[in-house]
Amino acid sequence: MRNSWIIALRELKERVLNPAFLWMLFIGPLLLLSCLYFLFKAGDEGKTSLRVLIADPSGMMENKIVSQETKAVEYYFFDDYLELEEFRDNRKYQKFDALIEVNEKILINKKAFVFYRETPSLDVKMQLKFQLERRVEEVMIDEFTNMEVDDFRQIKQALNVDFRNVYDPKNEASNLEGWVGFIFGLLIVVFVFLFGLTVLRSTAREKSNRIVEVLLASVKPIQLMLGKISGIGLAAVIQILVWSLFITFGLLFFRATIFPDLLDFSNYEGVQMSSEVKEQLLSNIPSQRYNEFIDLVYKRIDFTFFLFHFFLFFIATYFFYAAFFSAIGAMSGSESDGQQFLIPLLCILGLSVYSGYYAIYFPDAELTSCLQFIPFTSSVIVMVKLAQGYPEGTYYLVWLSLITLILFTVLLLLIAGRIYRNGILHFGLKASLRNLFYFMRK
Amino acid sequence: MLEISNLNKSFKRKFALDAVSLKIPKGEIYGLLGPNGAGKTTLIRIVNQIISADSGKILFDGQLMSSEHLRSIGYLPEERGLYKNMYVLEHLVFLAKLRGLSSSDALKNSKFWLDKLAISEWSNKKIEALSKGMAQKVQFIASLVHNPDLLILDEPLSGFDPVNVELILKELKELKANGKTILLSTHNMRSVEEICDRATLIHDAKILVEDTVWNLREKSKKGTYSIRFKGNMIAFVNALWTDFELLEQTEIGEQRFLTLVKMRGERSMNDLLNALMGEISIEAIEECFPSMQEVFIELIQGKENSDEK
Repeated sequence: MRNSWIIALRELKERVLNPAFLWMLFIGPLLLLSCLYFLFKAGDEGKTSLRVLIADPSGMMENKIVSQETKAVEYYFFDDYLELEEFRDNRKYQKFDALIEVNEKILINKKAFVFYRETPSLDVKMQLKFQLERRVEEVMIDEFTNMEVDDFRQIKQALNVDFRNVYDPKNEASNLEGWVGFIFGLLIVVFVFLFGLTVLRSTAREKSNRIVEVLLASVKPIQLMLGKISGIGLAAVIQILVWSLFITFGLLFFRATIFPDLLDFSNYEGVQMSSEVKEQLLSNIPSQRYNEFIDLVYKRIDFTFFLFHFFLFFIATYFFYAAFFSAIGAMSGSESDGQQFLIPLLCILGLSVYSGYYAIYFPDAELTSCLQFIPFTSSVIVMVKLAQGYPEGTYYLVWLSLITLILFTVLLLLIAGRIYRNGILHFGLKASLRNLFYFMRK
Repeated sequence: MLEISNLNKSFKRKFALDAVSLKIPKGEIYGLLGPNGAGKTTLIRIVNQIISADSGKILFDGQLMSSEHLRSIGYLPEERGLYKNMYVLEHLVFLAKLRGLSSSDALKNSKFWLDKLAISEWSNKKIEALSKGMAQKVQFIASLVHNPDLLILDEPLSGFDPVNVELILKELKELKANGKTILLSTHNMRSVEEICDRATLIHDAKILVEDTVWNLREKSKKGTYSIRFKGNMIAFVNALWTDFELLEQTEIGEQRFLTLVKMRGERSMNDLLNALMGEISIEAIEECFPSMQEVFIELIQGKENSDEK
C-alpha cells in the first residue's frame, strides 16, 4: 500500500508539474467561461437606452404611459399621425431612436410595431415590450370591459394543460435538470477517456523504457498498476475540482456583475410579464435558455449533494475504465501499439453517453433502470436521474448502482492486474486479442 | 546468504530454468555466467520476485524467501531504465523509498552515494540531460542506495568507460569488504577473474559447472609454462629433449626469448628447471592458467560438442 502511494504521488507530481496540465487547469475553465460570456453577451448586445417617440393621434396612451417609466426607455409623445419615412428622414426626429404608432388598430389587431434605427438590446426590448403590453391591456380593459384591471388579469390566463408524472406530481424533475445531469455524466466520460488514455500511454512508456523492471523489483505488479491509476486519477480529480471552482465562481461573478439583470424577471420595475410572453421569449432567444440554465445550476440543483455523488461515480468509473487502459498498455510493445483497442473502448464510452441522452427522455423506462446497473453506463444514467430527482423511497438505487459498479471495478482490476503482471515484462509483443486471452489465462 | 534449490521455469513449453540449484555464500562476489539466452536473467528475475518459478524454492538467510526480503536486495537490471523527466536526486529518493527507506534516509543515502561516485553536481539535473555513462552510475547507485545485504547486478559494467569500470570494480570490492554479498551476471570475464570468488556457468537452462574462480581455472589448465630466458635457443630446445614440448617462441631481444612449454607425461616444474639449469639463464618462469574467457569458451563448446554426439 505504501509503495502504491509512493508511485501514485510520483505520477501525480509528474502530471501536476507538467506545464500543459497547469495551463489547462486555468485556461480550460477560462475558455469555457469566455464561451459562456460571449453567448450571454450576444444575447445582450444592442442599444442599451432608447428614446421612444409614441405617435398617438387619438391620445390613447395619455396618462397611461409616463415619460420615464424606467431609466433605459424614455417616452416622448406626438399627438398626430407620423409617416415612417418622415420619422426616418426628417432631422427633427433624429434624436429619437424608435417610433411606436398607437391607434385603434392596435386594439383590433393586437399588434404594435416598434420601428428602431439601431437594434435595441434584449433588456431594453423586454422592458419596452412589457410596458407597452401592460398599458395597452389597461386601455383595452377600460374600453371593452367593466372589469377592474386586477380582476381581468386574474381571468385572462389561458388554461394550461400540463402533462405530469404520477410519481412526480410537482414536476420537480424536468428535462432541463436531466440535461444538467447529462452534462455531468458527459464530463465523467470525457475525463475518464482522457485520463484513461494517459494511463495507457504511461504504462506503455514505462514498459518500453524498461524502468518497469526496476520498479517490479520493489513493488508487486498490482501495486504498481494501482499506484499509477490512482496517481493519474488524483490529477484528474484535482483538475475537475479546480475547473468546478473556477466555473462556479465565474458564473457567480457573471451573475453578480456583468449580467445582473439578464432573465431575472423580478428586476423589471413594475412589469408583470404574462406566461405566454415568457414562454415566447424563452423559445425564441437562445441566450435566455443559457441564462435559465445558470439559474437552474444555482437554484434548482442541490450541488453539495450532486457533486458528492458525481465524485463517487467518477472515481469508480475511472478505476473501472483505467483497468482496461492499463491492461492494454501492459500488453503494448510501444505507446502507439494499443491504439487499435481504443476504438471498441470509444464505442463503449459513446454508448454510455447515448444511454444518458435516452435517460433524459425516458427516465422511467425499463431499459433506463437496467442501464443504471451496467458498469459501462451506470455513471451517466445515475447522474441524469439524480439531477431529475429519484422518486421518494428509491434513492437506495443510487447506492445499489454504485456498489454494483465498485464490485465490477474490483473484478476488472483483478483481471487487469493479471494481464498487467504477465504482459508488462513480455517485450516485443503486440497488443492483440490472442495475447490478451493468453495473459489472462496464464 | 541465498540458497536456490531445484528451480524450474518454462515459457510456452520451453525451459528457461531446468532444476537449477546453487548456493551463494555470504560476503562473496558470485559470478553468474552463461551465453545469451541461457536463463541468467530469468533466474535473477525469480530471485527478485519479478516473476515466479514453476517449482523449486529459494532461501534467503535460511528463511523461505518472501516479499519482505526484497528490501534487503538491490537490483541493477541489464536493460536500464529511468524516468527521463525526473531529477537525479529526486529519482534516487523515489527508488530508495520504494525499497522501504524513510524520506530522510533516502535523501541522506542518495547524497552519500552521489558524492562517493563523484556526480553530486548532477543532483539537480534531469535524467535526460545525463550522458549514458552518467545514467549508468545513477542506476548503479539506485541499486544500492537502500544499503542492501545482497546486490544483484546484471551486466553492471556495460556502457562504462575504462576509468569508470575501475571505479565500479573498486566499489564492488569495497562492498564485499563491508560484508555485502554480490551476485554478478556478466560477460566481462576479466571482471570475473578480478573480483569474483565463485562462479557458476549456466547453459541451456541448466547449471553446467559451479566452483570457485580459481578452481575453475585450475581444472582447465593444460600444464603449460611460460619461460623467459637469456641464451641460445638451440641449447634451450636441446635441453627440453623429449620430456617437454615447445609450443611457442618469441625473440624479445638479443639472445632473449619468451617461450611456452608443455609438460609431457608426469613431468613437474622441478624437472623442467633441472633440465634447463646450466643451459640457459632463466629470467622468469610461471605456470599458465587459462583465463575465464578461455574456461567459458571451452566449457560451452565442450558441452555443445557432447550434445551433438
